[in-house]
Amino acid sequence: MIKYKFFLDLTKEENWLREMSTKGHGFQNKKIGYQFEQNDTSESVYRIDYQTFKHREDYLDYIALFEDSGWIHIAGTKSSGKQYFKKDETNEAFKEEYDIFSDGKSKATRYKKMMYYFGSNFLFLISLTIVFFDESNLVKSLNPKSLYLTPGLWQSNGLSFWFSFLFETPFALARGFLWYLFPVSAIICVYYYIKSRLLWKAS
Amino acid sequence: MNRDSNLPLTETVYYILLALIEPAHGYLIMQKIEMLSEGQVRMAAGTLYGALDNLLKAKLIKPTESEDKRRKTYIITEKGTELLRADHDRMVHMVNITNDCMKGGES
Repeated sequence: MIKYKFFLDLTKEENWLREMSTKGHGFQNKKIGYQFEQNDTSESVYRIDYQTFKHREDYLDYIALFEDSGWIHIAGTKSSGKQYFKKDETNEAFKEEYDIFSDGKSKATRYKKMMYYFGSNFLFLISLTIVFFDESNLVKSLNPKSLYLTPGLWQSNGLSFWFSFLFETPFALARGFLWYLFPVSAIICVYYYIKSRLLWKAS
Repeated sequence: MNRDSNLPLTETVYYILLALIEPAHGYLIMQKIEMLSEGQVRMAAGTLYGALDNLLKAKLIKPTESEDKRRKTYIITEKGTELLRADHDRMVHMVNITNDCMKGGES
């Protein structure tokens, strides 16, 4: 079973995975969606860290430290950010309140790292927005006909018109509207930046 | 008085530096801290990892050679040893003056 969800609040995400586990859906992996195994009888606690690594050795050393202390790494890659760990109820040291953090300050740094991630992405996207800004582009996107460059397109008709028109449409859309993806994504990044900042302040 | 801005050390940092007088990898550090503090201080993996990262950046500890390919081993640096000693002296002073003041109050 695959479920699609998006969380910024890591505590909510941990609780949701726990809840799924009590219903018999064991969290297996995360690609784009969350992959669950049905009829998993072992109840588990899940904890999420936020960490990226430059070198593979650092990543392996990190996972070794968690696994030495009884946390199984289930999802996450060297550069994914979110790292998912679980502890089974069969584990001797199992406690509902068991955590991968032993103080609130270190737990809150997860959100600080997320802020940094969204903040730097915002700066990157805003510079793309400025670099690729083209005034004539703005005017053209208000007048979609001008986005088609095939000579004599609007004078032709019948099959040849539809063929050229449909063929060029994806290019026309890209010409006119691709640029808008930069400011739109930049705004989304700002929104996530503010949300993770609020979560950081609240934790 | 020009005291190091890193002082006083937090309890966990103090214990990590103390544990790294001899080389150790992450999990061994956790066990050593629990032993040295007689079970008073227990560090979870995520917290320890973040703390080691900060100490490496501050050059108070450094990676060292080990046979274990998967686990990184760390040891305290000269700067770390100096800081540990300075915090020790600070605490000894506090213990001494506390004893003196308490004695004064009793008589």
